[in-house]
Amino acid sequence: MKKLMALTLAALLLLALTACGGNSGGGNSGGDGTFTPSKTVTWTCTSSAGGGSDIFSRKISEIMTNEGLVNGQTIVVSNETDGAGEIGRNKIATMKAGDADYNLLTFNSGDLMPMVQNTKNRAANFRILAIMAVDKQLLFSCPASDSKTDYAKAGGSQDDFAAAIEAAKNGTFVVIGGSKGDDITTYNKLLAEVGLTDAQMSYITYDSTGDAITAALGGNVDFVISKPAAASQYVESGDLTPVLALATERYSGNLADAPTLSEIGDYENVEVPVWRGVAAPASMSDAAVAFWSDALGKVAGTDAWHKEYLELNQLLDQYMDTAAATTYVTDYEADYMAENGIS
Amino acid sequence: MENFASLLAGFQVALAPENIGVCLLGAVLGLVVGAMPGIGSLAGCALLLPLTYKFNPTTAIIMLGALYYANMYGGSFSAILLNIPGDSPAITTALDGYPMARKGRPGQALMTANLSSFIGGTIGILILTVTASGLATIGLMFGYAEMTIILLIAMTSISWLIGENPIKGIVITMLGILVASIGMDTLSGAPRYEFGNMYLLGGIPFTPFIIGCVGFAQVIKLINEREADEKKRASDDSKQKLSIKDSMPTGHDLGRMLPPTLRSGVVGTFVGVLPGSGATTGSMVGYAMQKKFKSEEPMGTGAIEGIAASEAANNAAAAGAFAPLLALGIPGSGTGAVLLGGLMMWGLNPGPLLFDTNPDFCWGLISSMYVANIFTLLVAILVIPFLIKILSVPVKYMIPIITCVCIVGAYSTSNSMYGVIVMFVSGIVGYLLDKNGFPTAPMLLAFVLAPMLEENMRKAFIASRGSLGIFADSPLKLVLLAVFLVLILTPTVKAVRKKMGGKKTAV
Repeated sequence: MKKLMALTLAALLLLALTACGGNSGGGNSGGDGTFTPSKTVTWTCTSSAGGGSDIFSRKISEIMTNEGLVNGQTIVVSNETDGAGEIGRNKIATMKAGDADYNLLTFNSGDLMPMVQNTKNRAANFRILAIMAVDKQLLFSCPASDSKTDYAKAGGSQDDFAAAIEAAKNGTFVVIGGSKGDDITTYNKLLAEVGLTDAQMSYITYDSTGDAITAALGGNVDFVISKPAAASQYVESGDLTPVLALATERYSGNLADAPTLSEIGDYENVEVPVWRGVAAPASMSDAAVAFWSDALGKVAGTDAWHKEYLELNQLLDQYMDTAAATTYVTDYEADYMAENGIS
Repeated sequence: MENFASLLAGFQVALAPENIGVCLLGAVLGLVVGAMPGIGSLAGCALLLPLTYKFNPTTAIIMLGALYYANMYGGSFSAILLNIPGDSPAITTALDGYPMARKGRPGQALMTANLSSFIGGTIGILILTVTASGLATIGLMFGYAEMTIILLIAMTSISWLIGENPIKGIVITMLGILVASIGMDTLSGAPRYEFGNMYLLGGIPFTPFIIGCVGFAQVIKLINEREADEKKRASDDSKQKLSIKDSMPTGHDLGRMLPPTLRSGVVGTFVGVLPGSGATTGSMVGYAMQKKFKSEEPMGTGAIEGIAASEAANNAAAAGAFAPLLALGIPGSGTGAVLLGGLMMWGLNPGPLLFDTNPDFCWGLISSMYVANIFTLLVAILVIPFLIKILSVPVKYMIPIITCVCIVGAYSTSNSMYGVIVMFVSGIVGYLLDKNGFPTAPMLLAFVLAPMLEENMRKAFIASRGSLGIFADSPLKLVLLAVFLVLILTPTVKAVRKKMGGKKTAV
């Protein structure tokens, strides 16, 4: 038994040593102030494999490799989901200089909100390298579904959100479904704008937009918040009807019928941009920041990015370089914190 | 009829040589991956997804489908042989499978698991073929209120595992619920019981927890039993050699296995179709239901009926979960979500139009499930004689081997040491609990089911503004409620009647 223990211990020590060894190695900020990657790059994605953030990370690294933007080095996407992603983000935020030049992080509005809510990390603890795409939302309904909710049972119109607002004001309970993060923020803004409380028009959080749409199809919620891409097929098949564009102007194509909030009453339009960006450790050298921001800009200009990512997911092409993205994210965070009373 | 014509066209796709090839490959890989605790079908599919990018979408999804499918078979191996359920659907398999292996019938236990997986899976695929998109619409009828009652029914299975001391059983169930509530609240996103620790924000990860509670606790137990085992081995020289023939269940075994398998196959398929339930709820409902029927041996002591009910239900549910995925573009489980991600990467738009726009793809997948089911069964039967050799390995070698398997399994869930730490801690806790007469199975079931129950129940209360009426305002809900009430009231009524009867005879 003692022998076994000793062996196990020795093996563990050896493991620990190799693990430490793997982390050493310096950056390669050339003497002339420029940066060229000279070893493997790690791209941390704090969501699990197969989801939206994962596809985003892998698509960009694929384009970077194919277009020869990383000096022939490999990019390894690492999914780190411990602590609902906070562990991975904290690791990047606190990374030491040197390694920092070789670490990228997928950073979306949906990542920023829980981070600011639940941890002490702020956008300022990262270098924001770029915003790659922006998405907006709409409110959909499923008029053909079984009437299970109070509003539907009372005969409320599911094509007309103005009628739902009126009904809610007059005491008929209305239920909106949607995903976590961005959708909740949009719901809160919508509620504040039309002057209702959550006791009049409530929100049910689902794990994903797909689950929320399922609930709408089954008649379990009256309206559902979704991005265009997730709902598009259902609109085409006639299962979902777009009833409100949560944007400053109407959408095009099969979503063009949905009015904006200012069209259906005396309200301001509600628009909460859902952005997808790339961040890096705060200790990343300026030369490396310039290099990565530029490389991401080149990715945003490729055909592959437009055809295989933006068009496929019906996202708006809105590349911002590191300077613009930093201002944008900082403002977004300040707004979010003010609205939620976080200091 | 139209469905069958499409199915035949689908077979043409599935039986193309390259598709048969990837199907076989998927079946073998799935068995291997499924047999490794920790790497469930979710991680397996996610890991192999990049491999399939070079294939055309149909070939790729056939491989992933076979992989997903074979995983459900593989999960039962370690559950039966080592008492380490590789995946959550295998928890209920371990309840009867491991005792049966200890009784000296490991071959029959594995064979029962495989055969009932095969039959359950076939039932699931048949139902999927006949109803296809119709099945998915049934799933839509189940909202949060209906799901709450279904989960309550699944929860009743816990009462059968509580053991001799009800108080200890209830305490341990509560502990499972408490541990499950660590992390972010699913509805409001507010952190609970995280004590300022960033790791706890994400909750206790399921796989390391279960590997620790069951697998590593087992290792500690083995260390204690080591000497006794060696003495036993020394005296027991006539160790029987098990061949494929010896592992074959007898006709009597098959007779015991068939009824629960058929029942669970049908029930499992429907549970698989329900939104967000999947194979785990399937196997638990199947197992809970079997408790209501007659079993030759008491359930939990190595009853063939228990293994059959659990395995048939989880494979049927795995097939059923494809209905909402194909017909509505809604993933019924985590693995479904990965498959969905794959579909989108290949340029297919999953959603209600998939059956119309890509029929060759949909029917190719459904027919390949028949093929995959047969391949997996054959491969599984062939490996059984090798697998049961594991049981004749002396304990002193098993201890380090199982420890390694536990560490690798715990690490691979999130590729971090956090999982390993959770595994060790829950292993020690699990051992201490077991030693003091607290059964761990109720804790695991509560851990899996409680979050789902909480989520659905709270959604229902939000929608009804706190009124209980939402659980009884439609015929479907009333039927479900009646089933639930019958389940919880029968033992009470039986006990009361027995008492009355006893009095009468006494008088």
